[in-house]
Amino acid sequence: MARKVLELDKIVKTYGAGDSALTVLHGLDIQVEEGEFVGIVGASGSGKTTLMNIVGCLDRPTSGEYCLNGEDVAHLDDDRLSLVRNRSIGFVFQSFNLIAQLTVLENVELPLFYSRTPRRERHKRCLDLVEAVGLGHRTEHYPTQLSGGECQRVAIARALVNQPALLLTDEPTGNLDTKNGEEVLEIFHDLHAQGRTILMVTHNAEIASGLPRVIEMRDGMVLKDTGFGTGTCVRGAVAGGSS
Amino acid sequence: MGLGRFFEVVALGVKNLLRNKLRSFLTMLGIIFGVASVIAMLSVGAGARHEILSRIQELGVRNVIINSVKPPEEIKPDTTDTQYKDRYGLTFADADYIAEVIPTVENMLRVNRITQRLWYGSKRLEASVLGVEPEYLRMFGLESGRGRVFTEVDANNYAKVCLVRRGLVAQLETVEDPIGMWLQIGGFPFQVIGILDDAAFRSHTRKALNIDSTTQEVYIPYETSMRTLGTVTLIERAGSQEFTQVDLDQIVVTTKHEDEVLRTSQMLGAALGKLHDRVDYEIVVPLELLKQSEETQRVFNLVMILIASISLLVGGIGIANIMLATITERTKEIGIRRALGARRRDIVLQFLAETTAIAAIGGLLGCFVGIVGILGIVELTNWKAVIAPSYVMLSLVISCTVGVVFGIFPARRAAQMDPITALRFE
Repeated sequence: MARKVLELDKIVKTYGAGDSALTVLHGLDIQVEEGEFVGIVGASGSGKTTLMNIVGCLDRPTSGEYCLNGEDVAHLDDDRLSLVRNRSIGFVFQSFNLIAQLTVLENVELPLFYSRTPRRERHKRCLDLVEAVGLGHRTEHYPTQLSGGECQRVAIARALVNQPALLLTDEPTGNLDTKNGEEVLEIFHDLHAQGRTILMVTHNAEIASGLPRVIEMRDGMVLKDTGFGTGTCVRGAVAGGSS
Repeated sequence: MGLGRFFEVVALGVKNLLRNKLRSFLTMLGIIFGVASVIAMLSVGAGARHEILSRIQELGVRNVIINSVKPPEEIKPDTTDTQYKDRYGLTFADADYIAEVIPTVENMLRVNRITQRLWYGSKRLEASVLGVEPEYLRMFGLESGRGRVFTEVDANNYAKVCLVRRGLVAQLETVEDPIGMWLQIGGFPFQVIGILDDAAFRSHTRKALNIDSTTQEVYIPYETSMRTLGTVTLIERAGSQEFTQVDLDQIVVTTKHEDEVLRTSQMLGAALGKLHDRVDYEIVVPLELLKQSEETQRVFNLVMILIASISLLVGGIGIANIMLATITERTKEIGIRRALGARRRDIVLQFLAETTAIAAIGGLLGCFVGIVGILGIVELTNWKAVIAPSYVMLSLVISCTVGVVFGIFPARRAAQMDPITALRFE
């Protein structure tokens, strides 16, 4: 049995208080094992985004338990949550969220900057990563000089730079044309093949159908979960390949 | 936080400022003017203090100077007499009394002065003839630019020698070498032995030395003056003669110690008050000049501090204002940084670095403006200024403080943003 990266236990999220209180998540139980590639689908208002915020440690659940990579993160203070985001989570957003004033390399370096990695080591690691996503010739460019597909690849490099336990992505292909979207998706599949644990929110049924495991949400609850089973063979393949 | 990291944060701040050069510069203006006025205030203040100190050194810190003063014109005796005799000022009795009674007196210099006609060939001038002791010349730095000054030997021999100002020589329109030439003063022949430097006759010294004319002083030994010219000045006006008798024009009292100056001047005031029935003398205490000017200085400083504080306050508010706008503009960036693991204090530091950098650069520019301004003022006026490196340091410390103080609020505000909301901000 593989290690659990994500353990959500009866997660409830309520916004506001009293009569105007709005409960968005009604006791979610989700577990994700190391090496899984999980798609989260659901209509608008189903609680996907709230779930992503909680999983991404940007927000705290009103009640329930959340263990990330074996660490209880449901009750951490703001500083600790920042640390967890920095060390254990890699975000890839729909709108890339690169800082326009920083170069490609500087953008990729940001997480390492906040994890207090010395400058020289930062450069080296980031150069390698930017190279790996095929943008070695663009390190000193600014995001505005790049195409959407390139931006998203920079964002992926940035998400990977701290070797996070969980890669969290929200409609990574939403702002891209079909060709670039497919390329980016291909990168995620490659990463999955290398053993990364990935959680991807998507509207796109086609993309979702290509994922080993899909969780469908509705009204703040899990409607359908294709379960661990689908991912097992892939993990097995990776385990075999890495040994 | 490591030094390297500190520089990185600062460099990031500067980089962000450079992205908006005009805005950053406008934001700095308040600080620039504030710091410039701080620099100006400090250097002008120091210049004034320096000048006063040197003035006092010239007049002697341990000295009390008593001058004879012509009392306000009283109604002249209603006579048809064409002769009028006035007598006022310090007397020999005063001098003896002071020497005898006041214990803190270490040394006392007497000065006699009469106005006399001075003849050179057929040229005539009205001259102020001052009889002074050689020590007096030394004390007040009356040095001869050419020739020599008179000494105790001259004094003891009642030598008829004199020192004149350069201007007086010019008035005589002579082609002769002034050193060694003979002048007739009050009917006696005096030989010029030296020309006095003008440097010793700056306005403040002149005032304290009770000299009103700018060029026509003639200095002769005190003893000679007593023996030959006496103490009576004769002024002839159309048809009337006016005799004025002043025994001593000035007494310079030197105390044993600086601390005794004020006490001595009080005792002198009391003694003279008893000896004179009208106030025909003034007591000048160089130390008190210092106090007076320090008082003026204090008012000046207060005004400048006020101006500087207001400029710095306005500058600081300007910085805070611009930073608040910047933070709204950069909400998204803040959200991204927070998502990638920046703690609140990282965000605070980032924006503090920016405000501090802007204030520090403003401070540097302000120092520059201030120093250039001061040099200009010194050039155009007769003000004195002293610019010390410590003022630059102080100004930089002040401006950095302003940057931190007025940066705290915007920076904290940036840090308190909810990362989710910030990320979604467009």
